[in-house]
This record gives sequence, structure tokens and C-alpha cells, in this order.
Amino acid sequence: MYSSPGKTARLNRLFNPKDGKAVCVAADHGWMSDPTENVIQLKRILEQVVAGGADGVLMSFGTALRLGYLFQGKDKPAILIRADWMNLPRLGGANVSNVLPVIKFRKMATSRAKDALQMGASAITIYYFIGYSDEFEAINIEQAAIFAQECRKVGLPLIIEPMAVGGMVTGVNIAEILIASARIAVEIGADALKIPYTGDVMTFKQLVDQAKVPVLVLGGAKSDVPRDALELVDEALRAGASGTVFGRNVTKAKDPKKMVEDLVALVHGFKTIDEIFEPQRDKKIRLRAVSQNCVGCLICETVCTQWHHQIFGTARARLWIESKPVEQMPPLNKVHICTLCEACIRACEPGALSLTDRGIIQLNKQLCTHCGACAEACPSEVIWFDEENYPVICDLCGGNPQCARWCKYDAIVIK
Amino acid sequence: MQTNIGKSIRINDILDSKSFLLDTTIASCLGATPQLEDLKSVLQTSVRIFDGIILNPGQMEHLALEVAGKNRAAPLIRVDWTNAYRDQDFCLPVQQVQRVEISSAEDVMILGGSAAVATLLMGFGDEFEAENIRSISRLLRDAYELSLPVFVDIRPIGSGVSTFNFEDVIKLGVSFMMEAGADALIIPDGAQETLKLIANWATVPVIIRSERLLKQDEAMAIFELGVKGILFNEKILEDPKGLIPSLKTMESVLPK
Repeated sequence: MYSSPGKTARLNRLFNPKDGKAVCVAADHGWMSDPTENVIQLKRILEQVVAGGADGVLMSFGTALRLGYLFQGKDKPAILIRADWMNLPRLGGANVSNVLPVIKFRKMATSRAKDALQMGASAITIYYFIGYSDEFEAINIEQAAIFAQECRKVGLPLIIEPMAVGGMVTGVNIAEILIASARIAVEIGADALKIPYTGDVMTFKQLVDQAKVPVLVLGGAKSDVPRDALELVDEALRAGASGTVFGRNVTKAKDPKKMVEDLVALVHGFKTIDEIFEPQRDKKIRLRAVSQNCVGCLICETVCTQWHHQIFGTARARLWIESKPVEQMPPLNKVHICTLCEACIRACEPGALSLTDRGIIQLNKQLCTHCGACAEACPSEVIWFDEENYPVICDLCGGNPQCARWCKYDAIVIK
Repeated sequence: MQTNIGKSIRINDILDSKSFLLDTTIASCLGATPQLEDLKSVLQTSVRIFDGIILNPGQMEHLALEVAGKNRAAPLIRVDWTNAYRDQDFCLPVQQVQRVEISSAEDVMILGGSAAVATLLMGFGDEFEAENIRSISRLLRDAYELSLPVFVDIRPIGSGVSTFNFEDVIKLGVSFMMEAGADALIIPDGAQETLKLIANWATVPVIIRSERLLKQDEAMAIFELGVKGILFNEKILEDPKGLIPSLKTMESVLPK
């Protein structure tokens, strides 16, 4: 319960009072990364976002000045103002061009709470970076605290976006860092959180439970498959999230309006994922990893090796389990499988890889140049090379994936 | 004696001759420890037992209605954040100690706090100490204009502090903060002679920070030294079954 009527009123404009949930769209990428199509065509995209029924749109101050009129009306999305700027996407490695590469991570406050109120905003959003260095974290905390104080004075909700980035962040500690950072942000004064998914329902539930403020899961880089993006939201909702802030998965979608409509249907409980994707469902099969169910028994790796190579062991499996040390709590094993994202096919310049009509990746050895681009491109890191230096890729066991068949904990399931 | 009537009224909302306080603010540094995961229920349990509860600004804002009302613990607002309490077991072990302000005197007033709590971290180097002193001095000036009491939490935990100089560092911190104009001092539970000296020397209320629940006679012994209060941290919440009976026992020794 909030002690500020201004904050209560504005949060209720963002979160639907009927279910306490919200679908927000982040449209602030021109402010920090680069002018890609979704930035250049922002007006057209935002018109579709509004038509799709989003509850809120996150944008920079300048965009709110130019396009704020799109949000006039009772049923229009609430405006969220991005009140800071940073250069993280231009540090390299991200999926943006590096026209002016930068060396040092910087973040600046660029708007005040009063500026956002003047724009008719329902909240401001700021970053809180953790993991880069102690000094940088302290600067982030200090800035967040100043925003929190300003927001208290004027009754404007503050949404903090904790981001675990930097050399101190690893695959092993990221969930723990996100959980801690969520609560730290609330202690400083966050009224809601915009936060990356921790990777599994169990740890995200822990994050939500400890935050005690509405948690909006963010989408991150655009998924190649819309269903994957929505599944992330579905898992977050099951963990207790209050909705989502999707950026590139909406603004770079082929049909932004449809994507928003799907998100609204999912978040507000009008449809399940299966209902949303029923019309597009084909007969091809795909695997889905449910890491929180994995107990690390390695049956999947064993049967994969046995099925393909007729030897007992795990070394030649086409999937792998990343195990967290037993002493780490909560224990977590991450399942790496081929998700048929087709990144390997796109990366293969000679065209040696292709997708069959049955949805199985196949290799034409005559075209393969052994360049290794497929393995580099694979986000799941499941491609390896045999003795002849040809890539070994999951073939779904010809349509009867043994890993899913043998996993009795449902950590690998067929979609 | 406090000549600022506003400060005097607010301090007396928190402290009497034998007061118990609770500090819940470690979550701003470490995230929620198991005892603080559900702060709302912690407050609901303890708000009628303790005389004061230290909260971070964000939590005060969200849970103000839990502490509001007569005969309830007065809210004290922590105005700074530090990573100094992170150890090697934390997911991001501290490499360089930091301390920044997260609230101001005006902000504490807006939140309805009865006092501000600032931290004096000792033993972390000259530059760090100077910045800490500058920050607290500025807070004290701002707080004076608003009649807001400032409690200074003296924490001798840096690498420059050892078992040999621990007591002297506490005395040095007390000296600094008396000179700076603090309205109350929170000091670690040290040797009896040190506590007695400080309690007699300080012209402002002195509160002891205790890491554990105390037996009735232990608490009484501390108060007999002239100490005005005992501040407990989240560790006393570890056993939910034990907390309330223990606090009730301690409460029974107090002339309320």
C-alpha cells in the first residue's frame, strides 16, 4: 500500500486495477543504441502499439514531446519517461552498430521527475547497474536515490531497472545478483521494477517474492521466434510477475500490433500461449528446456550419445547441462538444447545447413567449409565438431527426441 | 540538553530511559536476508514492542501505514547506502568500499521520519573518512534547520580497525560526532569501561548496537551504565518463535 495518493493514482493508470497487471512497450532505443528501423519508423510503430492495447509505453523525453499526442484518451497507454541515458549498447558485442564505439561505461540522469510530470507521464524509469564495479554501482545508487526523493516530492512513481552487467557477472551468479538488486532497488525507493528474467521460474519467483512491488519482466534482444518471447513472459507471470516491458520484440516485430495484442491476451489472462499460437501451429516438433525442473541426472546426455554413437557416456551428446556447484543455493542446472532458432543456418555462408520440411536441421557435407560460423552463432552452444571437423547438430533423433522421451522430470519437453 | 524544541519532541518519540530499537536496513546493501524477506510482517510483529525501527526510505514509503499511529515504534530513516557489509560470500564480493547518500533531511521529513540515521564508517582510509565526515556535517546542518534529529551509527569495521584499537576507534568516532553535532550516537557493544566512559561523556543519548538478543540482566547492566537504548539488527529475527517471548521478557524489565 502506498502512502502517496499521487503515486497510487498514477500507478493505477499503468497497472490495470482489475488484475494489477500491465503490458508496457519500451520505445527508447534511439536514445541509447542506434537509429535502426524501429527507431526511424517509431511513429508508425507506436500507432500500432496504441492500437494493440498496451497499458504503457516507455520513451525518452524528446519522443514524448514529439509523439505524446498519440497517448491522449482514456483508453490510451500511460506514458513512462526514460529519465537517464547510458552507452552500454555501444560498448560492443550488442546487436547494434558501433558507429562511435565507446570504451568506458557511462550513465547520466537526463530528466527530472518534474519534467516527466509536465509530459503527463505516469512514471519514470531509470537504470541501476550492478556488477560493473563497486564505484559504478554506488553512482547508480546515488542517482536512483536522488530520483526517488524527487519522485516522492511530486507523487510520481519510480520504476527502477536493475541490470547485471560487467566482468563480475557470470552465468553462475546472475540470478543471485538480480534477486539482490531487485530488493536493493526497492529499499532505495522503487515503486515497481523492470528487470530481466533470471532464467527459470524458481529464482524469478524468489525475486518477485522479495521485491514486494510490481515486477515487470523485460524482453531483451529480439527473439527469432515470437513464441519464445511470449514463453518468457508466461514463465515470469507464473513466478508472480505483474506484467512485462517489451521493447525490440515489439518494435522490431513484423506486426507490432499483433505482438502487443498477444502480450495483452497473455498478461491479462485472456488466452494461454497454446491458444495464442494454435492457428499457426504446424506439425513440426521443437524442444523446450524447463531448466528449473532439471536435477542434473545427465540421462539426456547419456541417451543422446547412446542413440547417435552407440557408446555409453555423455561426451558426444548434442545437448548439455550446465550445473551450478552444489554448495550454491538455490541449486540450478541449465539445460542447453537446440531450439531450432536457425541462427546456425543464417550464419552458414556456403549454405551447407538447411531446415528440412519436417523441421530438422540437415548438413550438406559437400558445401561445408569447416569455418565454424555455425557453432559460433549457436546461442545454446550445442554445436560441436566431429573427427572430420564437420559440425554435429541436434537432429531431433529423426522426429523422436530421446532426451525428451527419457527425461522423467520434464526438464526437456516437446512443444 | 536539547535546546531545539522540534528535535527534542522527535527524539522523545523514540527514546525514553530504556529503549529498544530494530534496524532493518541491511537489505539495501545485501538484498533481503531471510529474516527480512517479508518486512511487512516483521513490522506488524514488532511495531508495538520496539521504541524505534530504522527503515530505508523506500520501505518507509511502502510501509508507512504499518508504523503510523500512537504507541507504535517511531520510524527512523537511514540516509545512506554502503557496500561495506558485503563479504566474500556475497554474489558480488566488495572490492572497493563505497558510501553514498540515499535520502536527505527534507526527504526524511517528507517521509514522516522521527529521525535520520547516518553511518560513520571508520577504518577505510583518509579520503573515505573525510568524505564521510563532509556528508554527515552537511546532513546535520540541513537537519538543524528542519528540527530533525540525526542519529549517527558509528561502525568501526574497516581494515584499519583491529582488536587492539577497536575501543579507541569507537571513542574517536564518538568524539568526531559529538563535535559535528549529532543528536544521538549508536555505538558497537564494546568493553564495559568504554561504554561507561562514553555514556558519561556524551551529552547526547547513546545507544548500543547488539548482534544478539540479550538476557534480562544483560540488558539491565547496559542501561545501568547510562546507555539510553539497545539497537538490534535483523539477526534477532532468525527464530520467529523465539523473538516475541524474548522481547516480551526484555520489555518486562522496562518501566514504560
